Amino acid sequence: MSSMNKSPDQAYWRSLEELGDKPEFRQFLEGEFPAEAAVPTDAVSRRRFLQLMGASVAMAGVVGCRWPEEKIVPFTSRPEGVDPGIPRGFATAMELAGEMRPLVVTSYDGRPIKVEGNADHPLSLGATDHFAQALVLELFDPDRSRHAVERHGGTEHKRSWNDFETYAAEHFGALRASGGTGLAFLVERSSSPTRAAMQDRVREVFPQAGWFEWEPLTRDNERSGAAQAFGHAVATNYRLGEAKVVACFDADLFQDHPTALRNAREYTAARRVEDGRMNRLYVVEAGYSITGGMADHRFPTASSAIGTTLLQLAAELTTKQGLDLPGDFGGMKEALGHAGHAPAWIPALARDLMHHRGASVIAVGSRQPDWVHTLAHLLNRALGNTGRTVVHVDLSDRNRPHHAAAMGFLADSVGRGSVNTLVVLGGNPVFDGPADTDMAGLFAKIEHTIHLSDFVNETSKACAWHLPRAHTLESWSDVRDAEGRYSVVQPLIRPLYEGRTPIELLALLLEGSPAAGHVLVRSTADGMLPVLDRETAWLKLLQSGVLTGSESVEVVPTLEGRGIVAGVRRGAAAHAPELGENNLEIIFQRDPSLYDGRFANNGWLQELPDFMTKLTWDNAAILGYATAEALGVKHGDLLTLDVGGRTLEMAAFVQPGQAPWTCVVQLGHGRTAAGRVGDGTGFDTYTLRTAATLDFSDGLKIGRTGRSYPLSTTQDHFAIDATGRNEREQRSHTLILEGTYEEYKQDPNFVEHRHHLPPLRSLWEERTYEGHAWGMTIDLNSCNGCNACVVACQAENNIPVVGKDQVGRGREMSWIRLDRYFQGEPDEAKVAQQPVACVHCEMAPCEQVCPVGATMHSAEGLNEMAYNRCVGTRYCANNCPYKVRRFNFFNFNKDIPDVQQMVYNPEVTIRARGVMEKCTYCVQRIESVKIEAKNEGREVRDGEIKTACQQTCPTDAIVFGDLNDETSKVAELTANERSYHMLAELNIKPRTSYLARLRNPNPELAESSDGHPAH
Amino acid sequence: MGILLTKEIDNTVHDPTRPHELITGGQTFTSVTDHICGIVERPGAPKAWWISIGITASLAAVMFAMIAYLIFTGVGVWGLNNPVGWGWAIVNFVFWVGIGHAGTLISAILFLLRQKWRTSINRFAEAMTIFAVICAGIFPGIHVGRVWVVWWLFPLPNYQAMWPNFRSPLLWDVFAVGTYATVSLLFWYTGMVPDLATLRDRATSKVRKIAYGFFALGWRGSNRHWHRYEKAYLLLAGLATPLVLSVHSVVSFDFATAQVPGWHTTIFPPYFVAGAIFSGFAMVMTCLIPARRVFNLQNFITLYHLETMAKIILATGTMVGYAYATEFFIAWYGGNPAEQFAFVNRAFGPYAWAYWTMVSCNVISPQFFWFKKIRTNPWSLLVITIFVNIGMWFERFVITVTSLSRDFLPSSWGYYQPTIVDILTFVGSFGLFFTLVLLFVRFLPMIAMAEVKTVMPQQHWENKTARPVGDYHGTNPE
Repeated sequence: MSSMNKSPDQAYWRSLEELGDKPEFRQFLEGEFPAEAAVPTDAVSRRRFLQLMGASVAMAGVVGCRWPEEKIVPFTSRPEGVDPGIPRGFATAMELAGEMRPLVVTSYDGRPIKVEGNADHPLSLGATDHFAQALVLELFDPDRSRHAVERHGGTEHKRSWNDFETYAAEHFGALRASGGTGLAFLVERSSSPTRAAMQDRVREVFPQAGWFEWEPLTRDNERSGAAQAFGHAVATNYRLGEAKVVACFDADLFQDHPTALRNAREYTAARRVEDGRMNRLYVVEAGYSITGGMADHRFPTASSAIGTTLLQLAAELTTKQGLDLPGDFGGMKEALGHAGHAPAWIPALARDLMHHRGASVIAVGSRQPDWVHTLAHLLNRALGNTGRTVVHVDLSDRNRPHHAAAMGFLADSVGRGSVNTLVVLGGNPVFDGPADTDMAGLFAKIEHTIHLSDFVNETSKACAWHLPRAHTLESWSDVRDAEGRYSVVQPLIRPLYEGRTPIELLALLLEGSPAAGHVLVRSTADGMLPVLDRETAWLKLLQSGVLTGSESVEVVPTLEGRGIVAGVRRGAAAHAPELGENNLEIIFQRDPSLYDGRFANNGWLQELPDFMTKLTWDNAAILGYATAEALGVKHGDLLTLDVGGRTLEMAAFVQPGQAPWTCVVQLGHGRTAAGRVGDGTGFDTYTLRTAATLDFSDGLKIGRTGRSYPLSTTQDHFAIDATGRNEREQRSHTLILEGTYEEYKQDPNFVEHRHHLPPLRSLWEERTYEGHAWGMTIDLNSCNGCNACVVACQAENNIPVVGKDQVGRGREMSWIRLDRYFQGEPDEAKVAQQPVACVHCEMAPCEQVCPVGATMHSAEGLNEMAYNRCVGTRYCANNCPYKVRRFNFFNFNKDIPDVQQMVYNPEVTIRARGVMEKCTYCVQRIESVKIEAKNEGREVRDGEIKTACQQTCPTDAIVFGDLNDETSKVAELTANERSYHMLAELNIKPRTSYLARLRNPNPELAESSDGHPAH
Repeated sequence: MGILLTKEIDNTVHDPTRPHELITGGQTFTSVTDHICGIVERPGAPKAWWISIGITASLAAVMFAMIAYLIFTGVGVWGLNNPVGWGWAIVNFVFWVGIGHAGTLISAILFLLRQKWRTSINRFAEAMTIFAVICAGIFPGIHVGRVWVVWWLFPLPNYQAMWPNFRSPLLWDVFAVGTYATVSLLFWYTGMVPDLATLRDRATSKVRKIAYGFFALGWRGSNRHWHRYEKAYLLLAGLATPLVLSVHSVVSFDFATAQVPGWHTTIFPPYFVAGAIFSGFAMVMTCLIPARRVFNLQNFITLYHLETMAKIILATGTMVGYAYATEFFIAWYGGNPAEQFAFVNRAFGPYAWAYWTMVSCNVISPQFFWFKKIRTNPWSLLVITIFVNIGMWFERFVITVTSLSRDFLPSSWGYYQPTIVDILTFVGSFGLFFTLVLLFVRFLPMIAMAEVKTVMPQQHWENKTARPVGDYHGTNPE
């Protein structure tokens, strides 16, 4: 870089703008380094990457948080306070359909490699979900958009931001002059106050412009339910820690809720028997959700019948159990009279709720129509739950119309020809818009369409202009969480490509000149920060990631009797449809891995097994056993789904626990412009989903095509025979020990009596472990199978993605997996989840059979793999009873684009073809803490070492530590009476112990052995 | 010159007043030498030989191509998956090692037991052993993930003082199979030295003279040579005898010492040895029956030989059947649920077809040998021994694959299906085996002439004058 030293004042400091944008700099680079020009334009070269890395290190160095000192330093001059090779964490946040996730991102020499939850944020306390965990892979996705594109007719032209600015200066200059006539914005939902401020500014600058918000996955029913009940929309959050009885009606509180992580944490904490606590969970839903998997009682019920069920509960509570309604609800009794005959469990649930007034929750899911929410608000108020276990806060965007309505308005305006410029900020409405709106046709009618997006997706391809969007980890932005807390999104790295954020684009369009994101965010934040010592407060905000005291005040809105009665009457009058062979119910559900389809190009998420079906790389039409049998459908058959004349061919997935005559389809697969990973996986179910049937609909007809479709699951790889099915179920009871709370109270040591062991003698002398003895406990009473640990492990340990074909062959590489077993009658099956990773046996069967000693024990009891020594006989995997060893059948790390290689954790070896690998208890984390402790001349503290799976677990189900330290949490839990070793009879002395799950069935309903009442 | 017969002579009925006629057709020493050497010395191989070796060599080439593909791409080209870490490669390995068992058994144990009938078949059986062990040896080498470091399995002194893990049965395998291959080769070669000398002496071309001369080690047939030779042969027989039992016992340890249900059982060593002898004899018969027909060896490998081998097959087949029954009994009696399920799953699970193929071929088909008509008819013998070979391959498949596919955690159960690469590699190994067999019958004496002569009637009561044992290179000394 000799030429860089030519002018003395620029010896080391060069502006990033130069590196990034200016054509003359590019020319210089290409002249200076001809190789640079030879690099294909669709790949970020290593050199370019190092330049950017240098930049972010420089910025990281300034104040301990990323600071917009837009300078670059070569590595030769190391910024003060930055030690190369020492990872640093930065607080930031991400947003998913307006729901924020507080994050701390680990940056390694300026390269973000791992996402964790922000331990300072009350909604996370260090935990994340799998979407957040997979964020870094998205950042380094080689398919991300790299430059602007302009489309004329059928041809596309590569453009730069300068070109767009020239275009915008003219076009938006004219629009500003005309007050925005013909201009419309179609935007993602966002909780960003800065964006809200820009929206206000849009109203000023473009008073004639339309502003429409669209999200395919919404909580709009919840809003209008609240609006009916209270007169205005409020958000409903829960304090599950206070609740003794939780009744979920189609509500997946542990995954599909803005405060899901806290819900899961509080719920499990409230059933930690060691603390003398236990609660009870009832779930009424059609297909299994995470929450349903945790239920003490689960009642598979068609989505359309769930409102009726709640009505029956309300009737039972008010008429038979004497629950007083708060205030005057004339006509309510009459409306409830139509509730119809209630199933046997309703009275039992009603009594349970009555016994726990003020400490119960009735939660209704976002899929249910507004009146069901209304009724739940009424019942929660009547039960005294409101303000205690059910709390409301104001919504910042409470006056916006429903997304479906907004899309309708937009379509109308376009139809009238009153839109000639459409600015689409993020999202992918052409793919995920309602099926009854011809989105592509709509876009074609508009002369000027501009789409800002991370990827050139389906919508980008329908627009005249595509503009590259900065990734969350490259962006300055801000967000509010579900309770109004303010956080700043700060970049971890300069944009790898030419991405800009939505607020930066808005600023450009509004003001005619580009503005830096951090300036925009700072001006919003300044309004909230104290005037005195604002700078320190700002830095503190960046450091902690959350502005203390910014949360909204809880409100107790007054009930609007008229709205409620009207709603309930309407609901009661609209009888649930009669479902049957020719009239099934189709239920649209977000894809547990791909969300609404936006993560389709993320290999980690594509390959993440569905929490219940264990399906990877696809979605499928999920049917119950009885339904499938009645329809003559077999698992894997290709079906024709027909709803109201819209048809789709889709593979069948026969799944236990599914309500009869219902069919769950997940949204988000079947992308055509997702990228090299996401194109063509699964089936595009958006084509069946209209504005009126965003949630569920009856009228589904299922036909068979006679063909079948290969589905790759990570469990139950094949249709199982009767012998295997029986054994699987029987054995699951010995692997996942369960008891009821009653059993536990009578005999806390019930696990010991459940587990009969023959006298165990070791074949040879056992080793003793002095110093550390690492071990782990996994509390099956807490684990809900949310999958966050699986992706966290993948990110931490550089686990490769192998693809659908290899998963189908049983070669998935995940080091930790969630074993899921169904128990009982298929259509009313209970489910048991169990995370399984290497248990680090002290008498490890793998070690004894390895001919070359590639897997050995460390002095601290870790079962270690020496990858370099491994010959690949696979004998260890054969002899491992837990089947946690994974073999590199091919070079799964081959052909990884340069930019994607940046996601690798430099602390963890990339495994070669032909070697075995498995969970290491995150040995790199153990060692780094040990080194730190040694440098500081102290012992390793308990809880200081967290494995990746443990760190991300929202329910603290996983605890890691030193078993030799008697005061450690892990030692305490290992000694817990619920603790047991899986397959202890083999005498292999695993270091991981499981804590038995406790179910707490209602004694009234527990009479039949399977926990279900006799109907 | 004896009479060449294409008709079978029934020498299976034993007249107690006479020594058993093991070589029929009134053979003389000269006729034996002429006949056996004639096969090798015939100028220009018959067309059928060329066609056969063309086919088998092509198959062998396919195997090597598959191996090259495997090494360049990864073990993933096979059908292996997570629960089933060992598939056809290991099945083939055990299968071929088992085939190799007949040779040593015939050479060593029958020699020590003075079973004279062995002389007609021991050379062929020993050659087969070598070839089978060669085929077997390929698989453990290529089945590992990183073929290029497979030498780490050998205890080679190195600067890092890294040794293999002596607790691992795979290491024991290296020693057991290595020893077995070495001793078998030595035994075969030592036994062949006098015959090679015969060929050398009869050779007409320079090349043959040099080649056979080199391998004949300067054999002159002197008394001292014979003395040393017989001592060495006896010693080697003594050395090889425990190997017959040890090799397959050690191979069975690969399974028996692992804790996979269906593998972890103490019956494996004897059961594997019985199975190996069973399959080895079957393979010898499968090869010899066509060979004796093609090369007119009915006077040397008589119906009596075939019948005796059939009886051994019947005996070992019944042992194998007994072992199957015992496994089931112990699985039930042992009360270990995982073990019980492993066996129920074998018989009734997704691999039931393989299990019942195995039982039909291994237990039911040899039972036909209770009938003398069947065990003295070369055609029925050929068919049944082929079935036994199929059955024994399936036995190894059932043991290896069904046990692994469903072990302790039902979450990780899987189903193994071979890929085309698996299949072609296995088929190719037959190509290699038969290529070697064809080369053997073309260039080496397939019947141990010197030994056969010792069991001919001329050696005994007809010629009262005692003759020294030895080879007369085509002429009877007068």
